[in-house]
Amino acid sequence: MEVVYRIRRPIVLAVRFQIQGFTALLGPSGAGKTTVLKALAGLLPGEGTPYAGLLPERRPIGYLPQGHVLFPHLTALGNVEFGLTGTARERRERALALLERFGLAAKAGRYPHQLSGGERQRVALARALAREPELLLLDEPTANLDAPARRGVLDAILEATEAFGVRALVATHDPELAQAADHVVVLHQGRVLEEGDPLTVYTRPKSLAVARLTGFENLFPGQVKEHRGGSLWVETAAGRFYLPHPPLPPGSPVVLGIRPEEVLFVREDRPLDPTLAPNVRPGQLLRVRPRGAQVAVRVALRGLSLRVLLPRHVQDRLRLRQGETRRVVLKPRYLQLFLPEEEDSPSSLSSS
Amino acid sequence: MIPALLLSLKLALASAGLLLLTGTPLAYLLGRPFPGRRFLESVLLLPLALPPTVLGFYLLVGLGPEGPLARTLGISLAFSFPGMVIGATLFSFPFAFTAYREAFRALDPELLATARTLGAGPGRRFFRIVLPLVWPGLLSGTLLGFAHALGEFGVVLMVGGNIPGKTQVASTYIYDLVEGLDFAAAGRASLALLLIAFALIFTVRSLEERWKLSTASGDRSS
Repeated sequence: MEVVYRIRRPIVLAVRFQIQGFTALLGPSGAGKTTVLKALAGLLPGEGTPYAGLLPERRPIGYLPQGHVLFPHLTALGNVEFGLTGTARERRERALALLERFGLAAKAGRYPHQLSGGERQRVALARALAREPELLLLDEPTANLDAPARRGVLDAILEATEAFGVRALVATHDPELAQAADHVVVLHQGRVLEEGDPLTVYTRPKSLAVARLTGFENLFPGQVKEHRGGSLWVETAAGRFYLPHPPLPPGSPVVLGIRPEEVLFVREDRPLDPTLAPNVRPGQLLRVRPRGAQVAVRVALRGLSLRVLLPRHVQDRLRLRQGETRRVVLKPRYLQLFLPEEEDSPSSLSSS
Repeated sequence: MIPALLLSLKLALASAGLLLLTGTPLAYLLGRPFPGRRFLESVLLLPLALPPTVLGFYLLVGLGPEGPLARTLGISLAFSFPGMVIGATLFSFPFAFTAYREAFRALDPELLATARTLGAGPGRRFFRIVLPLVWPGLLSGTLLGFAHALGEFGVVLMVGGNIPGKTQVASTYIYDLVEGLDFAAAGRASLALLLIAFALIFTVRSLEERWKLSTASGDRSS
């Protein structure tokens, strides 16, 4: 389903993107995610396709606003029944079946204030699905929820999109939710920067803004030196690195990026692939500390500070200790090249 | 005592009805920003800070035989029951209005937006969402206005003139009894008013508790 919308109030926004299955609408706060959802729901004036010109009451959508979403004076069952038509008995049966589907049959008689945050979101999802919409619009459905509740909501969204065959557009900045999506759309300052499958958007973002949003914590300014043997060589504060990339004019300012979980330490007990040698650097371990089941390492690489995230079993083999010097390798295939954004290109050039 | 008390109840009932009728739409309209809102709100809340005698004086002049109403329409409401109703309504307005306004303010516009996306038209939204969520607030505001009108003294005295059998209400009746040193009768009448006032305020508080519970869609801790 293609969405093409132009909105003038409350912010100016022009977007064009695809909704495929469970689609995550990713973006920083203020990017216009809520505005897009509301315009699609008909709650804000907008022009475009689909549905423009229809009253919200007539659009085949199910909408979940952010925050407190249930009717507080109705039970879970009453909330789900609200949008249904038919006899009282039919409505009740259909609403109960939906609640059961989301594991909430036992809570049908409860009022919203008697439900947990995750349960409320699932009831709201069941309510949105009751009218058999073709598109669900969910605004930050996992905000303010703890991890198990977030997973419950994610499962419910997957159930809705897979079992019911409904499309869902989910505004979020929850990476776990976005990575589970079928399709990711990145919104920034009122326009779509990038869209694609989550793997591509998360590992090969096309722009610096998307890289920042998707967890590229290591971003270093640099300059193109040469193109040799199919690889581009980039000069940074920590020396020259190469990566597979089409040619760029020498001297072009660029930003080199790598995800913290894709920085590797050299196993000194094993032979090193000689082709990697130009991208190996010794670095001092400034900080080694656990982060949940992982280990977060801060490495000082000649003028650059690198963040590394390791699974525990790797640390068990490497036995990294704070203060010691180890060799890290920035594998060419994990390095990404970005063009600097206008506002920070002069400073990054002068610093290199 | 009985005629005065009955007139008090009649006055309070008429005022409460008028408050509900005029205060609800005003509170609803004043719930959203528009130019001059603060000014209008200040005018409506003015009786909070005004001595009843001042309001009563203006009403007496405005509604009296020389007032604009009498001159244009030939109606004088001074020293009459309708005049007292107007006075008591104006003087109780801030109490009812504040409660009404809070009731509408507490209504989350997202709920109405969501109801629209669930296919509910204006009528269904009003009867299924707005009314169930605001009625305890409207009722508690109206009861508060009723209680306040029931106990009103100054304005009612100024506009009504405390004419026994015609415009004498319980509060002015008690004043007369005390002036006449009939403390036993004054005590009985006072006790009756005290009990009624307590029952009303207690009901208002109970409604407020219930209202908080029914609009608490947020955290379970709240």
